[in-house]
Amino acid sequence: MSVFDLLNSAPVYVVCGSIIGFVALICIIFIVRAYRAGLAIGMERAKLNRVISSCIAFSVVPSIGILLGVIALSGSLGIPWPWLRLSVIGALHYETQVAEAAAEQLGASLNPSEMTAQVFSTVALLMSLCIVWEIILSALFNKSYLKKFKTGNSVSLEKKSKSGFADTAMASMFIGLISAYTGSYVGQFVSSGGLFSFKGDWIPLIVVTVSALTMCLFTWLEKSKKQAWLEGFSVAISMFAGMTAAVIIGLFR
Amino acid sequence: MEKNEIFERYNDRTHVLGRLFSLITVVFLLASPFVIGVFIGAMPDIAAAMKGFVAVGIVWLVVSVVEFLVYTPMLGAGGSYLGFITGNLINMKMPCADNARDMTGAKVGTPENEIISTLAIATSALVTVAVLSAGVLLLQPLRPVLQSEVLRPAFANVVAALFGSLAYKYFSHHLKIAVFPLILMVVLFVFLPSLASSASIMMIPAGGLAILVAWLDFRKPISKFHS
Repeated sequence: MSVFDLLNSAPVYVVCGSIIGFVALICIIFIVRAYRAGLAIGMERAKLNRVISSCIAFSVVPSIGILLGVIALSGSLGIPWPWLRLSVIGALHYETQVAEAAAEQLGASLNPSEMTAQVFSTVALLMSLCIVWEIILSALFNKSYLKKFKTGNSVSLEKKSKSGFADTAMASMFIGLISAYTGSYVGQFVSSGGLFSFKGDWIPLIVVTVSALTMCLFTWLEKSKKQAWLEGFSVAISMFAGMTAAVIIGLFR
Repeated sequence: MEKNEIFERYNDRTHVLGRLFSLITVVFLLASPFVIGVFIGAMPDIAAAMKGFVAVGIVWLVVSVVEFLVYTPMLGAGGSYLGFITGNLINMKMPCADNARDMTGAKVGTPENEIISTLAIATSALVTVAVLSAGVLLLQPLRPVLQSEVLRPAFANVVAALFGSLAYKYFSHHLKIAVFPLILMVVLFVFLPSLASSASIMMIPAGGLAILVAWLDFRKPISKFHS
């Protein structure tokens, strides 16, 4: 039995499916409570129903984009684990980065040929360790943190929560991460066969370029052609374009 | 009973349930690699995971703190508990809650916003669960194709594909911040290509430099590299 047969086996589906089911149950409990409380404080039933129906319509397309992310990760981590991570806690851009970094610490990568059962279970643990902090912070400090905002009026609260350096700092960290990986692809191509030998693997550079150009096209369509609905697909389809370029190069090599 | 009193009781109970469900979810998520490990015959290597956490987890801890501080007030109690548990916050839950708020005219920080954010995020999460579950069922027959030799280069380059798409997204919006860390990393990896196996650790100096440039720009905008 190969490692991917194990990762796609029924018991793994049951473990991942049970957690997804539990989280779905939490959502149902919160919907019922919020709906009842909304009616109790005088909100119109029609308004609450409209929120639910518009959110269903709003979420279908991005969810298909997320499904493409499950497909993208399934070749490295099997199907059930990405299904769990992208249904419950993660997001495509986090999961891939953390999984790769975790595999790197074990001297492996997300390359399917390097995946073993031990690498998978350790990567899975590290992915969980890295990404549970928001839930823990929320469990510990949500109530006391929100109390601090109660004194201000709603407009100042909105301004306070949206402004500041925090968003830029977070974007800067991502820029640092992307720069490190992009630099590593350039370095591998230019110098891995000897300093300035240009004999290293160039496929990752092509993949980066194709993905970036596809993203550029999507951004143009979203902004210039007013196709805002494409936003939910842009990352996943750009990734697929880059991955398709790798397959095409692989066929002709 | 007064409306305010009803809402306060609802809110207090939301915190109790939110904390309880959050902690149970954390336990499930941390236990799942061990439970799966039993079935696949290989338990996680704790020492390697801890070593990895020291190297990369600290960065995610900082990201988590920032996201918690920024998004919690915007989503309210129920919305933020659910948002952090169900993930896909920036790419889906936040826009969905924003859209619902705009549609109903609710203001951040009001009881209406609390109710609407919770409804929006819970509904959105359920839709994702339904779509992904249906998709995963349909994926089963495609397993042999997904694991074929022809597609192997695609999955071997999934990270490069992700960083290509994100590179355009982030660099085009923050060109003046991205220039310096990108040049530094290219030069570093060209002269020390063996560092490629530790690319994730190199995000610490690269991210630090990006934050420094961003901070300098935040205090006094750099006019030269306007993006």
